[in-house]
Formats: sequence, structure tokens, C-alpha cells
Amino acid sequence: MNPSEENLSYHGRRLLSRRDFFSQTGLAMGALGLSNLIASDDPAAFTGKTPIRPTIDPADPYAPRGAHFEPAAKQVLMIYLPGAVSHVDTFDYKPDLYKYHGQKPPGIPEVTFEGPTGNIAKPFWDFKPRGQTGKMVSDLIPNLAEQADDFTFFHSLTTDTSAHPQGENFFNTGFTMEGFPSFGAWVTYALGTENEELPAFVAINDPRGLARSGKNNFGNGFLPAAFQGTDFSAKNPPSNLARPSSITADHDAQAVDLLQRLNAKHLERFPEDADLAARIASYELAGKMQTSVPDVMNIKGEPDFILKEYGVEGGSELKGEYAKNCILARRLIEKGVRVVQLFNGSDPSGGNGITNWDSHSNILKTHAMQAEIMDQPTAALIRDLRRRGLLEDTLVVWCTEFGRMPFLQANGTGRDHNPDAFTCFMTGAGVKPGVSYGKSDDFGFKTADKPVTIYDFNATLLHLMGLDHERLSFYHNGIERRLTHVHGHVVGDVLT
Amino acid sequence: MNLLSRSLVAALCTVPALSAVEISEEGKVDFLQDVYPILEANCLSCHGPDDASGEFRVDKRDTLLQGGGSGIPTVVPGDTFDSYMVEVLREEDYEYRMPQEADPLPEHEIAIIEAWIMQGGEVPEDFGEDAASNTTDLWSMQPVVRPETPEAPGAATAIDAFLQKELTANGLAFSERANPVDLIKRTTILLTGLRPTADEVDAFLEASAQDPDAAYEALVDRLLASPHFGERWAQHWLDVIRWAETNGSEANLYRKNAWKYRDYVINAFNEDLPYDQFLREQLAGDQYGVGVATGFLVAGPHVPAATVGAEPSAIRQARADRLDEIAQGIGASMLGVTVSCARCHNHKFDPISIKDYYSMTAVFEGIEFGSRYPELPEGHPDRQRHAELESELAAMRAILSDEVGTWQEDWQGWNETFFQPVTAKHVRLTFPRKNVSIDELEIYGPVDPELNLALDKRGTVATAPEGLSHGRGPAHHINNGETGTMNWRPRKDLEDGIKPSITLTFTEPQSINRLNLSTNRQYFLETDYLSTYEPKSPQTFIVEVSTDGETWTEVVSNPIWDQHLANNPSAAEFQTQLQATVDRVLDEGPQASFVGLFIEPEVARVFHRGSPENPKGEVPPAGLAILDGDIGADSSTPNGERRRLFAEWLTEPSHPLTSRVMVNRIWHHIFGMGIVPTPGDFGFAGALPSHPELLDWMAAEFVDPTQPGMNAWSVKGMIRQILLTDAFQQSSAPHEVGMAKDAGSMYLWRFPPRRIEAEVIRDSILQASGKLDRTLGGESYRIHNVKKTYAQWEVVDNHSEHTWRRMIYQERMRRVDDQIFTAFDFPDCGQVRAKRPVSTTPLQALNLMNSPFAVEQAGLIADRAIAEHPDDVSAATARLFELVLSRSPDAAELDACLDIAESAGLEVVSRSLINTNEFAFLP
Repeated sequence: MNPSEENLSYHGRRLLSRRDFFSQTGLAMGALGLSNLIASDDPAAFTGKTPIRPTIDPADPYAPRGAHFEPAAKQVLMIYLPGAVSHVDTFDYKPDLYKYHGQKPPGIPEVTFEGPTGNIAKPFWDFKPRGQTGKMVSDLIPNLAEQADDFTFFHSLTTDTSAHPQGENFFNTGFTMEGFPSFGAWVTYALGTENEELPAFVAINDPRGLARSGKNNFGNGFLPAAFQGTDFSAKNPPSNLARPSSITADHDAQAVDLLQRLNAKHLERFPEDADLAARIASYELAGKMQTSVPDVMNIKGEPDFILKEYGVEGGSELKGEYAKNCILARRLIEKGVRVVQLFNGSDPSGGNGITNWDSHSNILKTHAMQAEIMDQPTAALIRDLRRRGLLEDTLVVWCTEFGRMPFLQANGTGRDHNPDAFTCFMTGAGVKPGVSYGKSDDFGFKTADKPVTIYDFNATLLHLMGLDHERLSFYHNGIERRLTHVHGHVVGDVLT
Repeated sequence: MNLLSRSLVAALCTVPALSAVEISEEGKVDFLQDVYPILEANCLSCHGPDDASGEFRVDKRDTLLQGGGSGIPTVVPGDTFDSYMVEVLREEDYEYRMPQEADPLPEHEIAIIEAWIMQGGEVPEDFGEDAASNTTDLWSMQPVVRPETPEAPGAATAIDAFLQKELTANGLAFSERANPVDLIKRTTILLTGLRPTADEVDAFLEASAQDPDAAYEALVDRLLASPHFGERWAQHWLDVIRWAETNGSEANLYRKNAWKYRDYVINAFNEDLPYDQFLREQLAGDQYGVGVATGFLVAGPHVPAATVGAEPSAIRQARADRLDEIAQGIGASMLGVTVSCARCHNHKFDPISIKDYYSMTAVFEGIEFGSRYPELPEGHPDRQRHAELESELAAMRAILSDEVGTWQEDWQGWNETFFQPVTAKHVRLTFPRKNVSIDELEIYGPVDPELNLALDKRGTVATAPEGLSHGRGPAHHINNGETGTMNWRPRKDLEDGIKPSITLTFTEPQSINRLNLSTNRQYFLETDYLSTYEPKSPQTFIVEVSTDGETWTEVVSNPIWDQHLANNPSAAEFQTQLQATVDRVLDEGPQASFVGLFIEPEVARVFHRGSPENPKGEVPPAGLAILDGDIGADSSTPNGERRRLFAEWLTEPSHPLTSRVMVNRIWHHIFGMGIVPTPGDFGFAGALPSHPELLDWMAAEFVDPTQPGMNAWSVKGMIRQILLTDAFQQSSAPHEVGMAKDAGSMYLWRFPPRRIEAEVIRDSILQASGKLDRTLGGESYRIHNVKKTYAQWEVVDNHSEHTWRRMIYQERMRRVDDQIFTAFDFPDCGQVRAKRPVSTTPLQALNLMNSPFAVEQAGLIADRAIAEHPDDVSAATARLFELVLSRSPDAAELDACLDIAESAGLEVVSRSLINTNEFAFLP
């Protein structure tokens, strides 16, 4: 039984129990799709595969739905690092950068995203072999480095753009343009959620604010609004969650009760209407969220060693706030939230000083400041999830929109954007630990072996969630839209 | 294997080891004998009857020569370089080389093919099957022919007759007439986006009791004449074209005066502008004196230059993306076909080729996302006023020219410096301050006062001393015609004593008398609400000219000139008066508006695989070939004219899509589902019409009306006809037979009830509290902050009094959550939205129960009821029902509410009422 059902009112239960009726009559799809009216299933024309459009009961759009096949992961935590992390200064070790340091060998273009190019620069932090695998990781991120044996690295990622907002869009929605559904929205649309008392898809924004593409990173695009990410963080609850202070709890309860009575009476005129039923149920779930969300946000009960491990105290203020967001992320995963997207970085003007990983000048300072915030809390979050056994069912993804150049900008101290080679990693359910997949060239400038596009990466993510990226689709304006457009191959070599 | 070896033998036997040159000298290559065997052996298995991969077949003359799905000609006679076949055979990248997963063809075989192409690439006329004719099976592209109205006993209107025929065939019938309360609610919400007031309901009940038909017809006519009609129906149109007042993308900058287009749309619907004219004006309003209408073309999102990057390929890609946004908008709204699917290859389903796509974008080559001064019709009062101001200005300038000789005008976004004509080959500007950035410097002369002599396209070269410019602000930015953030910037760390300077060199000596320079005129013209941008341009500099590059003459020096003004009170007085006139022009003169910037159209080419890095053959501006899209234009046709010609093609009365798409859209907004349920896609991938004959009857009626009082292309007339049907006026109540046979109500055995949109909820709440400001049009009300350039918009106040207007006037910001109504499927304006999804989420409940807007308005509704019935809680409670639900409560409802009203307060009751299903649904 659905966990939220037990506490529903008579009407709520009655309506939910008649889901079968709705789906038989076809009412259920009335609001959410035209699937049976579409003349042709166009993905078939591209892939030979017919689309799988989840049947969504408007009375219960978040009900858990089956995957296309047995999933390796039931939940996903995406740690997104806006601004572009330098792969050559973190996980992608390139000895040739020491050799050619200060030189400009042939093959370096005159102009990249921000303008004229300068000379090759060796990594700004030392690399050391780590763990059993001896994976070379830099001292910029000593805490994550400790767990290198557990990670599955993708070193040959490529993207379609050198610009941040388009890059964020592309990574998170599969399109550089605006208005396409985000990865989290697609997964929620496909799978619903196991715990309807919390939002199915939570976006935890950086303490400094939204990333460059703002809501597009966790928006529903043209999918129904039910599947958008709900954004809140350790600091900021979801908007309008709390009962307004001007209204007493007693009066609030009376208002809710009156509402449901009026709705029940109105329903007599439209006894089988699924949309009306959906709205009644949504008010009941909203009421539950008013308790469950503050509960999950309340990290006061966390023991000291946890606060310490995550680095809540003792670092910069931003690190402390990000650490709390990491604890919140773990608590959400524990509670069964389907998709958690955790941001480490914001729009460039969202705060004072450094706001994300973008490091066009003085990368030594800017990357260090950003790493100080990210490294310890993120490493603790992954370790904590593993310790609690949550990585059995949860996939963790650490990712960024592109990489940085192995050379400096002309007369500069920073690295420009590199769309042709960068590194992300996964860990947890369904992926092989200690694997480094694909290679960039000797400078980390372009992909050299087994290139992985964003389409491939997203196809792999969906596959791990038990979803066929070629079949999960939604009809929008003439096209069966997919997260992976008409592209993408699952990277089978990294799967357990 | 057999095939392969046989062909090799054949090839070797017929033309053994000949090079291309030898063949062309010695003999003619024969297609059937020499070329086809090679193709048959290497290509046919994938590009033949079995597979036709990429929709390309080598065994059919038409595709062999014209190409397959890529839309690129396989063979260009006499040109091996442009012939795609040679390109793929000689491709070095094995991923793209043909044949795939095989070794390249031997050189001598490629040579045979090349020789054949050089000789003209002839293929016998009868080779392969019949050449494809220019026809299609697609239902929506067939001519509209008005069908006979079916015999349907008792049908009130022609539309009812078509519907009744299908109902009868499916064992169904119309439901009884809706009760008058539901009917007036339904009609008022659909036509105006507002609920009827209790008084309106009463009046309608009374009139209905006398004569229901007459009362209803009068109601429809009253509502169609309401100015709120345009506000409601404009909203639908703006959704489709994803119009918004910000760019989207990183900075998501506000688009200054873009709202003027929104007002144009509202007025168009209110005035019942004929739909064909509405389309023509939006495509080419500049040609008809309605400049603001072209806001349509730039309704979609775009990425501004500053965030595209410096790489030329990224800049080209961004331009192609912008043209694609224009094509998408037209496809989804006017044509009802997904033209963008033909951007990389021929459309997979519909008869739209890649050439069609690039021909269509060629029509809009002269459009850029930006601002201009919108054209006004002859005799428009603003136009007269502008002319008056212009002549005042000209008179002032004439005096200054005689009396002072040199002066400056501050146009906020830029500075103009006037001086006496002087001949120059080189012009040098020197700035006393180090902190300079200039996005554009224009230089004009007396010969053609409108011709910018400084522009790099005219050969003028900008140079700054070595090492002076910042890496991201090179000298050539100053005269590249690109305004905004692409500027010339000296380094800030220049040694003391070094002054920033820049020299422009013309190809020939020119007579010059005016400079115009700015820091960022683009932001001044296009955007607003930035805390980080002040429209201020450098005013202090020295201008020197030279004919030989060695001797320089100073023509302007602000410091000296300032002194001159100081010493010469009458000159200073003139200057002050002049600036006052300039300020008046800025205030009362034409206002730059984000409705599209005009640029010089580039020659349009097909981009192979959609990539601007792979341009192929030139294409003329045109409509869809399958629909006789030749508009007689070519690459030299001027910007405005090509759009006007395209608009005329699109609005030909015989165009099969234009009228079908619009009547279906009207139907969709009235019944909640179109006759074609995919309003933006009338192609093979879209849905088929549920009532094809009815659709065609209405499409014919729309263009060529037969019903009394109906004008051609009249949107109001078409809506009126539909609203006067029995189908619309019937009850929405469900019944078992109907639910069993047609739960989706596709056959309209009842009026399908549905949820109302975000705007109706908000506007109706404001109406209930009596606080709705019904002012039409004007600047949008703001709910956001004033922000830094690169920051996200934040909602600062979405509920106070300044927001108490209809929601269509709320700043429509791309992908910004307004913290209340975004959760109600309000579109993010990123992609075209022919229909809004309807979803139900707990967040909607939270927003409508707890947002400051909802709580505050619930209080105001209660206050209003109490003010009207200060001493009678029962009457005040009943009044709440009238205000919110347009009806009186029954006894049980009143009882339930009274208890709470007395113990908790009336605002608790009103808060519940605005959250009811009854309030949120269209009955």
C-alpha cells in the first residue's frame, strides 16, 4: 500500500482505490497525454523501438511506477558543480603538462571561448597515487581522493557547447536550448516516487543561489508541472510550505476541513471525475508535506560526529552551509526521495567573491576556495551513504558541464572552458568501482579514447534507473521527445 | 561477395585503370555501363529497395541525383567538389565515410564516378521507378473543400449537424442544456478569463427565464465586445509562441518595451483584426506601418553575444539557433507543422525538405533578436509628434552649426559629437581617462548623413597602439557593427602618462562632420532593470584627423570646448536648449522596443546536417515547396519585401494549413481539446482530426463565410458561431452511457469540464476581493528585483497592490518561478506551447492556501463582504459565495460556513472558498 494512503480521508481513499476505474475509462490519460490519439510513434522511426509512456493517474501522479526493466538503482543523487571543474587539476592526471609547461606547442587554437590563448600550464596542485588502484588524484580534493577506489570515472566526456548556461541546459536537459524537461523531471515522470509525503524530486540549491540556468536545471519543461523539482535547502524551506503566521493552527485545520467538505459536496455532481479527485488528494498530501518536509530538514538531531565529519563547523561559512545541504541530501535519500540534485555553485553574481567553479583568472585561488567548500562535505556525504548501506540502491553522480583548458588564457592566470574533454564520476548502485573509463589526449585537451557524449552519459544514467532512454518519451508539438534527443548509447563497460 | 567481385571485374574491364582526366579526354563514361555497377555492388544493399537508409536510394534517378534525407544533392553536374557522393566516398573520418564499415572504394572507381559527374552526371530519364511528383498524401495539405452539411434532424447549427452525425454513429447524443448559472460561468470564463459577478448571474437568470436563446445570444455578444476578451485570447497566442519579456539563457535580460507587442496582440483580438492581416502584420508589420507586430518574430528565447563566446563557429551556431527559434514559432503557431524537424535532414514524416527549412529561414535573414523603433502608420499622432520634435531639433542644430560649430548631444545610450566638415583618411580619438570602453564608434559625413563610414564592412580599419588593448576588448570591436558587450577596451594597468587612443583608417579620404560613440548602446536600447548598467558614454576626448597618417589636425577637444562654453554664455545657452530638445525627443519621441532588429540579409544556404560549418547550395527565401512556396524572391530581395511576400503566401485564402490550424486552435481553447488534438502539428506525426469534415467546413467558413454576419477571417465571428451551438451550451454532467463509450468526451456528448488556468484563478480572486485593476495594456507590473547583469531574477513582491492587475500584465519572465502560479502549469516560455498540460500537485495546494497573495486576498474578500453586511454574519457569509463562486450557498453550506465564520473569522471561510474545486473548474 502506498504509504500516504493510510492517512487519507474517506474521499481520498475512495478516489485512490478507484485508480483502476480511471485507467479503464481512459479518464486518467485525459489530463496528461494524448497517447492513444497520436497517429504515429516517431521514435520508432529513429530507433525501431516503440515509446513507453508511463500511465499517469491524475489522481495520484506520484504513485510508484515500474521501470522498463530491473533497475540497478532506485534513487539518484546528482551532485552538480556549476562553472566547470578543471579535470586536469583534479582527476585527469597529465604528465605532459609538466613537460610542456610554459610552452605553446602546435595544435593549440588561437582563440577559445573567452578569447586569445596562452601557454600550457602544469597542474596547480600535486597529484598522488591513491588507494589500491593507485589512481592519480590531486591535492586540491584530498577527501574525495581518499575514496578514489570506489569511484567510476568518465575521463572522455564531451559536450556540445563552451558556454555555461547552454552547458548546464545540455547536461541537465539534453538540449542546449531552454525549456526542455530536466533529468530529474524525466525520472519522476517515469517512476513516480516511493514516498509521496516528500516531493519526488528535490533540488538543493547552493547557499549562494541558483546556478546559471536557474530553474531550467530542475524544471519540468513541457512535462506536466507535477514533475518539476521542488527546490529547498537546509536554509530555505519550500516557498509557501508553512502555515502563515497570521493563521492559528486551529483555524487552519478548520479551513482545510471546510474545504474538503465543500469539495465532497461538489463532487456529487461529477461523481467519477478524476481531476476533481486529484485535487482533493493533493490537498491531503500537501498537509502531510507540512510535517514531513520540516522533519527532514531538521538536522538538529544529527550526532556531533556527523556534523564534524561533514564539516559543518570549522571551515568557511559557505562550507558550513553546503555541509548542511549535504546532510539534508542524505536524509532525503534515506526517506526514499527519487531524485536529489545538490548544487555546489551558483550564478556568478549570486554572492560575494567566488560563486562557482568558473576560473578564468587566478585559478589557484578560485578553485581552492570552491574546493574548500565542496571537498570535505561531499566526501562525507558519499561515505555516510555507503556506511548506511544506501548506495545499494542509490546512484551518486558527481558532475559539471565541461572541463577547463590545459593552457592558460593569454597573459592570464586562469583556464578557459574545454568542451572536448572533461571528467565526471559515478559511484554506488550499478557501477563498477575503481574503473577509469575513456581517455583524454596527453594534454587533456580533447578526448582520445572511447568518447562519451552527454547523450551517452544520460542514457547510462537512465539505464541504471531501469529506463530505456530510447523508449522513455513524451509527445510534445509533433515530436516524441526524449532526454537523449535521437542519440545516446549506454556505456555498458562501467555497469556491474 | 559475389556482387562485389563481379562489379570489380566489370569496372576493370570497361575502363581499366583510367584516371578522371584521361576519361574526360578520351571518352564518355556511361552511367549504366560504368557507374551503376559500382553503386550496385557497394551501395545498393543499404541504399536500395530493402533499406533506403537515410531515405537515399541509388536505384532511383530522383534520389540518386537530388539526395536523400540529408537534402544535399548527391550529384552536382560538373562539380565534384559540391557533389555529396564524392564527399562521402573520399571522407577521411571512417564514421562518415561510405560505404560504411568497409574499406574505401578503390581510387579508380571513385575516379570513374568523378569523371561521370564532371561530364554532367547524366542518368537515363527512365532509370529506376517514377520520379516522385510534388504531391503528398498528408490530409492537412490537401485543399480545403467545404463539405455538404449532413442531414441531422434537430441540429441547431451546421456545426451541430456534423457533431450529431458522429454522436449518432457512436450511439450517443447531446446532453440537455446546461443550467444558466453554469452556462454564464463557462461562457464568461472562456471569453474573458474572469468569472461572472453575482449581479451578472442574476441578470442572466432573469433574462433566461424570459427567452433563454435570446438571453444567451446577448450574453455572448456582450462578452465578445468586452475589452477583457482580447486579454484572454491574447494569452493563448502568447503561450503558443512562448513570448516572454526576457531573453532566457544566463543573464536572462529583460527585453525593454517588448510588452508593446503584447498590447498589439490584445488589441488585435479586441478589434477582431482579420486573422490573415494579423498574420501578415506579425511577419512583416514594418511593411504595413505596424512595426510592433514583428515582436512575434523575436518572441522566443535567444543567447546574447556576451555568453556565446569568442569562437567564430559558436557565433555562427548561435545565429542559426536564433533563426531556428523564428522558424519554430511560425511552424507551431501559423503553419501547424514542425518545420524545425527539417533543420538537419529532410523531415522524417512530412513533405518538408531541408531546402524548405533553409528557404524559410532565408525569409527571416534580415531579422535579429534586438530592438528598433517600431514603424507607425501614416497619420498616427505619435508619428506627427515625432516629426515636430525632429524639426525642432534640426532647427536647433542649424543654429548651433552657425554659432558654435562644434557641439555634443547626450542621447543617454550614446553621444553624438558634431563639428565642421573636414577631410580625413585617418581619425584618431584620444581619451584623458584610462577607464574607457566603447562598443561602437560611428563616423558620418555630409555627403550621405546616414552612411556610417567607420564600419569595418566598408574597409575601415581600427588600430590601437601595441599592447594597449585588453585581450577581451580588441580594437576591431569598435567598428564591427556589433554593439553591446563586444567592445574595445584599453588595459586598466597602463602606465601613467599613456592615454588610451584608437585610430580608424578609411580606404579613401572622406569628408566627415559627426561622430557617434557609446559604451553599450545595445543595453540602452534593449534592456532594463539592471543595477550594474548605467547608460553613459564617454564625453571627453580629443579627435584628430590626418590625410597622410603623419600630420594631425585637432578637430574636437572637449576640454578646450568646455572652456569655450564657459567663456561664451550664448553658446552655452544654445547648448543647454539643444540638450533640452534632445531630452524631449528621448521622452516623447519614438521608443526603441524589443520587437526585432533589422540587419542586412546574408545569402542563405542549406547547412548540411544542420551545421553552419557545412554550408551547401544557396537557397532563395520561400515557403514550403509542396504548397507552391515559390514567392518569387531571391537572395537580393530586400528584408521587408521577402517577409511580406512570405506573409502573402501564407495567407492566401487557398492555403490549406493557415485556416485549418486557426479554427482548430479556437476549438481547442473552447472545448479543451482540438478536433486535431495536436494543435501545433498537423503532420503525419500529429493526431488525425476526430471530425475531419467539420474541421474543413469551419476552415472554409473562416475564409469564405456563408453564415449571416460572419466576416472573412473573423476570429470573433468563428468563436461566436461555435458558442451558439447546442454542443457548447449543453451540460457537462457525466452519465454512464457517455462515460462508458467516450470517457474523454471526444464526441462531445457533454461539454467537457476542465481545470481553469493560472491566470483565471489569480484574476478571479482579485475580482472577488474587488481589488482588480482593469486598466488595459501598458508596462508590465513587476514582481522581481532589479538585478546584476549575471544574476538570477528573484521574486521580491508577488502580491502587493501594484500587482492587482490581470495576470497577462505580470512580467513574463522566461524560466523564473513566480512562487505561486508556475506550479499551475504556467509555461516557462522556453519551448512553444500549443496547449498547456494540466497537472495537480501538492505545491499548488500549498501556494493557494499559504502564499501571501492568497492569504491577503482571502482577508480582503472577507473585508468586502463584511463592509457590505456589517451587522449580519450570515449575509456576509452568503455574500462570500457570491463573490467567489458567483452563486448563493445552500442551507447546508451556509450552516457549515457560519460556524467557522463566527468562531474563526470570515477570512478563514474565504480562504477555503478560493481553494475549492468549484472555483478551480470550468463547469
